[in-house]
Amino acid sequence: MSQLQRKCSPGSRLTLLWIPAIACLAMLGLTEQVSTQANQNRASRMWAPALAGAAPGEIQVLPVQGNVHVLIGAGGNITVQAGADGVLMVDTGNAAMSAKVIAAMRSILSRPLRYIVNTTDRAEHTGGNSAIADVGETIPFREPNYTAGPQGALDVGRASIIAYYTVMHRMSAPTGKAAPIPESGWPDNTYSIAQKRLYFNDEPVVIMHLTANSDGNSIVLFRKSDVVSAGDLLDLTGYPVIDLAGGGTIETMVNSLNRLIDVVVPRANAAGGTMVIPGHGRIADHAEVVYYRDMMTIVRDRVQDLIKKGMTLDQVKAARPTRDWDARYGRDTGDWTTSMFVEAVYQSLKK
Amino acid sequence: MCRAHVGIWVLQWTGRVPLLLLLVLSMSQPVFAQVDITGLWRPMPRNQDGSGMTGDAAGVPLTPEGQWRGQSWSPEDFDTAEWVCRPHAFDYSLEGPLTAMRIWAEMDRPSQRVISYGAHLNQQEQETTIYMDGRPRPPANALHTWSGFSTGEWDGDVLVVTTTHLKETYIRRSGLMRSDQATVRTRWRRMGNYLQATSILYDPVNFAEPYMRTALMWINDPALVESPYPCEEATETAVPRGDVAHFLPGQSPLPGLNPNLADRFGTPYEARLGGPATTYPEYITRMKTLPRPATTAPAGAAEN
Repeated sequence: MSQLQRKCSPGSRLTLLWIPAIACLAMLGLTEQVSTQANQNRASRMWAPALAGAAPGEIQVLPVQGNVHVLIGAGGNITVQAGADGVLMVDTGNAAMSAKVIAAMRSILSRPLRYIVNTTDRAEHTGGNSAIADVGETIPFREPNYTAGPQGALDVGRASIIAYYTVMHRMSAPTGKAAPIPESGWPDNTYSIAQKRLYFNDEPVVIMHLTANSDGNSIVLFRKSDVVSAGDLLDLTGYPVIDLAGGGTIETMVNSLNRLIDVVVPRANAAGGTMVIPGHGRIADHAEVVYYRDMMTIVRDRVQDLIKKGMTLDQVKAARPTRDWDARYGRDTGDWTTSMFVEAVYQSLKK
Repeated sequence: MCRAHVGIWVLQWTGRVPLLLLLVLSMSQPVFAQVDITGLWRPMPRNQDGSGMTGDAAGVPLTPEGQWRGQSWSPEDFDTAEWVCRPHAFDYSLEGPLTAMRIWAEMDRPSQRVISYGAHLNQQEQETTIYMDGRPRPPANALHTWSGFSTGEWDGDVLVVTTTHLKETYIRRSGLMRSDQATVRTRWRRMGNYLQATSILYDPVNFAEPYMRTALMWINDPALVESPYPCEEATETAVPRGDVAHFLPGQSPLPGLNPNLADRFGTPYEARLGGPATTYPEYITRMKTLPRPATTAPAGAAEN
């Protein structure tokens, strides 16, 4: 072997040493690149990940299904059904957000706003009525210059506002008394039976009256899109605001949630299929409605049991019958606290 | 280069190159980290957490409020019309029903990179997609599902999956719930023909601390067959439509909540109530100081 070595030049031996060295360096270079990627991944991993909601003061537009979008961030959720016939909007949010709601609506479709449906009389759902209806137009029953009879008095230069008739009562006032909101925000298209139906944007739109957190709730079913706008019958951000003076009780909430479940058909495994737009919070489906119904029913039964045991309102509150849902739905401050909800349940069961 | 040198070089480096390669390999784990986890996976039997007694919550870091929720649960919940088709959600299925699993990869053809992994569980046909392409999460107000929205990243040879947008569901079939605010981090690791998952469940609503499960194992089985598992919504059930089965506080008859009944391990009643302390090994010392229930639980008091 040594003889053979002597026959070769030192330079060629050096060359041979470099081959494995270069190969190894190349491999190290490769691994460095991959390691860098791994480190970047570790740095970007958050626990738990932050999820983007609607920025304060801004409207988030999310597609729901079929012709339907939801606008989130204006107070109550706003449903927008858009198509060749124009726009139908369910609820209008707070008055202060009207300009942004109009801009969001136009980002979906620039055709005219024809209808607004109010699911309740609460300001966070109806506050934008006046300003938003003003940018719409109603398809006239007669020629535009027709003035005879009641239909002649309709202002076709604005969208028509549909609501259950008790909503109109609450928003208006007898002659000579101050109304809670100006007349321009009142419904001009009320109904007083179980449901009102339209055919709009190539699909049936069924507006159903339910007594839920007040006696004036409506839910709106877009039958071809397979979406229900549920208003405050479903609030995935908190306990429902039960308006005892307005005819709402815990019983009407439970009954109407069961009615909503009847309307919502899951695609598979108790979920998917019919989409539900709650009055507040994220897009939902059958499972969320059932969970919410379960919670309402269990809280009702617990409070009823405590009442049967002779407890006063303060004792019922101290027993914390909602404790297992408080971390999810409860609030200690604001317009509607856990304490107010428990009191509403208690008072509705004491009636 | 002369032929003699080549011969010497080969002889010299035959011994050294493997050592050098080993050195390099030891420094280059990430290169070989992105292992193939696709295929058909058969679950391996193992002990589930807890005693198996219905109502038992040992080892689950429930808050007191989460315990309350569990204690209102009635077995008739499974006969509630609206819940008959409720599935074992994907994250529960990994632990609970020992279900077969198929994993496949969606590839980007030009780059041959993995866009996503899909996984299908035989149990109630639960499916998930694990996005590997760095796409952003959906907005907070998007729909939540049983499987949620998952993204994956490689950490060495471990695929780390982070899941959000989950629906509320049970983590044991006796009313222990995780909320829709939960985040699940699952670490998948393939070791030859075995696949292991470690699941870390973080729930700010029902859990005081993260809930970890480590003994989730599958073995590769190319002959595994997955069957259809459809479910048709129930029309008539034992629980009338509109009724919600539950127990009022303090009135649950579940054996796990009866302080006098003993499970097969003689677990003290306090431990069966669960809570963060019961998740730590140190709790064993405390358990030894606690009284053991004396009455043998009747047949059927435990699921397994």
